[in-house]
Amino acid sequence: MQQIRFVLNDETVVIDSISPTTTLLDWLRETKRLTGTKEGCGEGDCGACTVLVGKVVDDRLVYRSVNACIRFVPSLSATHVVTIEHMAGPDGVLTPIQQALADLHGSQCGFCTPGIVMSLYALLMEKPTPSRAEIEIALQGNLCRCTGYESIFRAVEAAAAGMASATPDRLTLTRERIIATLNDLKPKRTIRIFHGQSRSIIPFNTADLADAYATEPNAVIVAGATDVGLWVTKQMRQLSPVIFINHLTELQTIDETADKVRLGAVVTYTQAQNVLAKNFPALGKLLIRIGGQQVRNMGTIGGNVANGSPIGDTPPALIALDATVTLRSRNGARSLAVEDYFIEYGKQAREDGEFVEALEIPKLADDEFYAIYKISKRRDEDISALCGAFKLKLDAAGNVASIRIAFGGMAGTPKRAAHTEAFLTGKPWNEATVSAARAELAKDYTPLSDWRASADYRMLAAQNLLTRLLIETSGEKASLERYAMLEAGE
Amino acid sequence: MSDRVSETVTMPMRFGSNSGQSVTRRDGIAKVTGRATYAADNHPDGMLYAVYVPATIARGRVTHLDTAAAKAHPGVVEVFTPKNRPPVVGDPDKKPFMFAIPIEVLQDDTVRYAMQPIALVIGETLEAATEGARLLKPQYEVEPARTGFDAEPAKRAAAGPFGRPAEVVHGDTEAGLSQAKQTLDVTYDTPAQYHNAMEPHAIVAKWDGDKLEIDTPNQAIVLSRGFYAFYFGIPADNILIRSPYLGGGFGSKAVPYSPLVLAIAAARKLDRPVKLVLTRAQMFGPVGHRGATRQRLRIGIDGEAQMTALDHVSTAIVDSFDSSFPEPAANASQGLYNASSLHSLMMVVHNDIGVPGAMRAPGEASGSAALECAIDEMAEKAGMDPLEFRLKNYADVEPGTGKPYSSKALRECYAEGAKRFGWAGRPLAPRQMVDDKGFLTGWGMGTALFGAPMFAAQARAVLRPDGTGLVETAAADMGQGAWTALAQIAADSLGLPLDKVEFRSGSSDLPDGGVAGGSGHTATAGGALHAAGTDAIRRLGELAAADPQSPLFGTGNQGFVARDGRLYAARDESRSEAYADIIARAGGQEIEGKGSAARPPEDAARHAMYSHGAVFAEVKIDPVLFQMRVTRLVGAFAAGRIINPKLAESQLMGGMIWGISFALHEEARFDKRTGRIMNTDLAGYHIPVNADVQGLEVITVHEDDPYVNPLGIKGVGEIGVTGTVGAIGNAIWHATGRRIRHFPIRIEDLLA
Ligand SMILES: Cc1cc2nc3c(=O)[nH]c(=O)nc-3n(C[C@@H](O)[C@@H](O)[C@H](O)COP(=O)(O)OP(=O)(O)OC[C@H]3O[C@@H](n4cnc5c(N)ncnc54)[C@H](O)[C@@H]3O)c2cc1C
Ligand code: FES
Ligand code: FES
Repeated sequence: MQQIRFVLNDETVVIDSISPTTTLLDWLRETKRLTGTKEGCGEGDCGACTVLVGKVVDDRLVYRSVNACIRFVPSLSATHVVTIEHMAGPDGVLTPIQQALADLHGSQCGFCTPGIVMSLYALLMEKPTPSRAEIEIALQGNLCRCTGYESIFRAVEAAAAGMASATPDRLTLTRERIIATLNDLKPKRTIRIFHGQSRSIIPFNTADLADAYATEPNAVIVAGATDVGLWVTKQMRQLSPVIFINHLTELQTIDETADKVRLGAVVTYTQAQNVLAKNFPALGKLLIRIGGQQVRNMGTIGGNVANGSPIGDTPPALIALDATVTLRSRNGARSLAVEDYFIEYGKQAREDGEFVEALEIPKLADDEFYAIYKISKRRDEDISALCGAFKLKLDAAGNVASIRIAFGGMAGTPKRAAHTEAFLTGKPWNEATVSAARAELAKDYTPLSDWRASADYRMLAAQNLLTRLLIETSGEKASLERYAMLEAGE
Repeated sequence: MSDRVSETVTMPMRFGSNSGQSVTRRDGIAKVTGRATYAADNHPDGMLYAVYVPATIARGRVTHLDTAAAKAHPGVVEVFTPKNRPPVVGDPDKKPFMFAIPIEVLQDDTVRYAMQPIALVIGETLEAATEGARLLKPQYEVEPARTGFDAEPAKRAAAGPFGRPAEVVHGDTEAGLSQAKQTLDVTYDTPAQYHNAMEPHAIVAKWDGDKLEIDTPNQAIVLSRGFYAFYFGIPADNILIRSPYLGGGFGSKAVPYSPLVLAIAAARKLDRPVKLVLTRAQMFGPVGHRGATRQRLRIGIDGEAQMTALDHVSTAIVDSFDSSFPEPAANASQGLYNASSLHSLMMVVHNDIGVPGAMRAPGEASGSAALECAIDEMAEKAGMDPLEFRLKNYADVEPGTGKPYSSKALRECYAEGAKRFGWAGRPLAPRQMVDDKGFLTGWGMGTALFGAPMFAAQARAVLRPDGTGLVETAAADMGQGAWTALAQIAADSLGLPLDKVEFRSGSSDLPDGGVAGGSGHTATAGGALHAAGTDAIRRLGELAAADPQSPLFGTGNQGFVARDGRLYAARDESRSEAYADIIARAGGQEIEGKGSAARPPEDAARHAMYSHGAVFAEVKIDPVLFQMRVTRLVGAFAAGRIINPKLAESQLMGGMIWGISFALHEEARFDKRTGRIMNTDLAGYHIPVNADVQGLEVITVHEDDPYVNPLGIKGVGEIGVTGTVGAIGNAIWHATGRRIRHFPIRIEDLLA
């Protein structure tokens, strides 16, 4: 059967033909006439379009908030899509978060409200008594121009207080049934969907992916679609054929051994959060500053590397850690340093038919200090002006035993600071050395000016990051606390 | 930090018990369930989709469009270009009414600004129309775009917006400056900002012969009928506009813009309903914005720190073909400080941009930003605490005109705000405060000011035979809570509990509710509802007083009190009767009352009418990277009678958050070479996210205003933006010693 099948609220949907780039939002609003879900930007920025997508993972049904505006319908095979219309019970009984938002004026003009309900419902499903920080993180991807944030907070607190006594809602009651249905809907082989001139390919497994990509090296691979979605909605690009990969369980694995962490290519930011935060706390903190929760629920680290962008946040972080990327094709696999994957602006070391299979990140030694600094205009949900990552090891005498420095946003690719590293190595780690090293950074990079930041500012900020690294590693208590607060956004 | 105590000193009730209560929003349930229908949610049978093609240059001509390719695309129904434009009767280059602007509806091939519509593609599906639009691949003859303040020499504006004069002179500021003991001469820049309501502009237009139905978010429903009547040559009565919910307006949804008119024209031409929804990027061009300003402020003080002159010249960037909306920033200096001479002047510089318009606190937001920083600079020069300096120059009557204020509890705002914030003991000099974590810390303040206008509105109130009420006025709820606050007023006027009153609104076939703008909607539409309710009660009383069987018989001369569905004799409350009983005996007919509201010109002439406030800000700044956070913001406001404290608090907080945004985030960045805006999306055009907002407190200070209108309502929708921007700018100076004379203030300003 060449069909895409999934569950929408309480209806099983079967689609024979649809464009690979029809967004879930357009499909919901225009085809299904479910207009409760709103469009505020079409680019993953505002969260008005937030819906839940449920998947069976290890026999458990896991719902995540996603941006329907950049989610393509063919990527929904064997999922449960839940919209605002499905939140209140059939008898009209509201979920606790809906009731609290209504009671406490968490909704003003109301346009952002359906999206906010979905984000907060997802939060409370996972964390029934969230902390203020957790609420903030859950709301990063939801903008409210009426700026009712304070009332929204009060509503979450009120809803959380009432969660325990609330009657089970629809999604809780239908869990078992939905799991059975979704298992039933799982495709048993590769699916190809045709729509006019365009095609979607939903490979059954990695081997099928390798075959399909070998046959059609010009196909566009779509993982989380948090980049590709924008090519369609913003740049109005026509894409075909499109190979969807985010459902491939072989690429979803997370393996942790004594000396490294291995992430399958389609592991999302959300899925990677725990293992990365545990092993590389700075990276864990960086992840929660990428996009909003919805973007992190869809976007993959594999995609962040694969896309080759000079301003992606994880590549410098990975390069400083000396991570490797595994590329696979029908002919086998090879690994190379993430650093070497980026050749120049717009060019990566990926041959025809090769896709990213996994990333491998060596763990830190006890005496290695690792830091990442993301400088953006707005603290949350903002693309970096620059992002610097540092791995530092000092010897017993307080000299630099080794240092790896990588920056994003300072060159056409994420790039190491070779001069600065060489200059620092062997020198005492103190203010004199660091201030002398500022000049070295200017040899490593000639950043560009754009509207996010001027070249001068980028350079100055990069240099100041070295100072910050020094302050942080020298362990002055007040500074450490200050930086912790900056990171936490307090 | 999450101190967010909020206190409202409630008004003594002058009438019914609904007003003054934090009644829960009546539209809350519809909004949290997704059932509230916004314009773009409509889908009449046979509907087509329209997508407009935006100009990608700022100035020039369209020389080619590949209409053949677009038309050949399956599902494309029609491609409208200047060659086959759908007819628009009224001259689009004219300005039919004061608030309206010239529009571009394919009348020719010129491009006046980037994002202007240059073609309209109609499809059976949204996908088809979008693809058709992409296939048009416009080519241009490009002329150099005029961008920024240096594009041409500034000229004196012909007039200010809303019919206000371009120049106001009270006394001789040049003399005041030359006699001054100390003077200040500073220039502040504010950027172009775009409203960016979360709901993009949208329209669904449906014709039936020469009758037109449109669903579109609109802040002035009845007024707008007139605009569309002009463009389509039909009587206004033939037009029905439905706008039950607006996904935010902020001033951008009051007049008909080019894409909306085009969609209606296309629907008429094709004789099928048409839907058009703007993309986020298209919100940066044809639908208004807050114009950029460059403001020169000169202040003189005498030996007592008393202001001898306040001279405010504001140059605004305006479009090149209408120019009627120079951002009236210099207005901010007119009503506030007691300077012995005052001068404000508006100048313009023409750019190739869409027509600017009113955006939340038009004039005052930008003007107050500059004024309040300049006042701070002057206080610094005088060696005075900024609050003390403001009190020294406190105006007890309106400066210049000498008119008394209808009410002005600004002193109380200063005192309450300062106390709550803990202003006392603030060091005068900058860079004195570092917190225990090493953050540079600064405190700043600003005065908030906004006019308290009223417009004109009508309403109808009906008492039904069962004793319940129905009230009607075509008001607009953009999120401020009109559905609730207006119903509260109406219920009080009818002497009924809120749940016994049905409120119909948001549709143009109802009595004119006026414009939801200028922070005057509650006062105006509320005033009309109050008058209508009072009228209905008066009629009911006449019936009862004339009816020998009523306990109220013969009490007509003493008047009545209406409460909880019963009418009481004013001087003898033992005599009363339920509405339903009075109506039943009178024949069971509904009783209709009519009312209107407007401020009599003589009232306006007698008093100066403003809302006031004081905003205090704390910022913390990292000493190495200069990342900035507003860690506390306390606003104390006096805005007359507060109908619904919860709603008012939301509005004031929202305004203050807009102030944070103005101070630190929001700005359209123009590419000097092309004249295009570079950040036409929410990833680049930053509006505050939840994490930007901390430690916000709103205090409303009691204010009884017997003159502003019968209900004593001033308005709270816009004032929160004013004062806040300056307070933050001043706090940043206090933390760092750097005066940054433009907004938004960026990290790089402090780093360099
Ligand atoms: C609102 C928003 C905010 C964002 N904020 C940030 C931010 O702060 N920092 C940041 O770094 N990024 C940010 N991003 C972008 C970030 O989400 C993406 O770069 C993401 O990591 C890409 O992963 P994906 O799975 O979504 O990739 P997709 O969009 O599916 O694909 C991206 C590219 O990688 C290719 N690709 C994907 N997977 C593979 C594979 N396995 N093999 C070969 N090619 C592959 C695709 O063909 C495509 O070229 C943001 C995006 C949005 C929408
Ligand atoms: S519509 Fe804004 S995030 Fe999807
Ligand atoms: S309530 Fe209006 S955008 Fe959030």
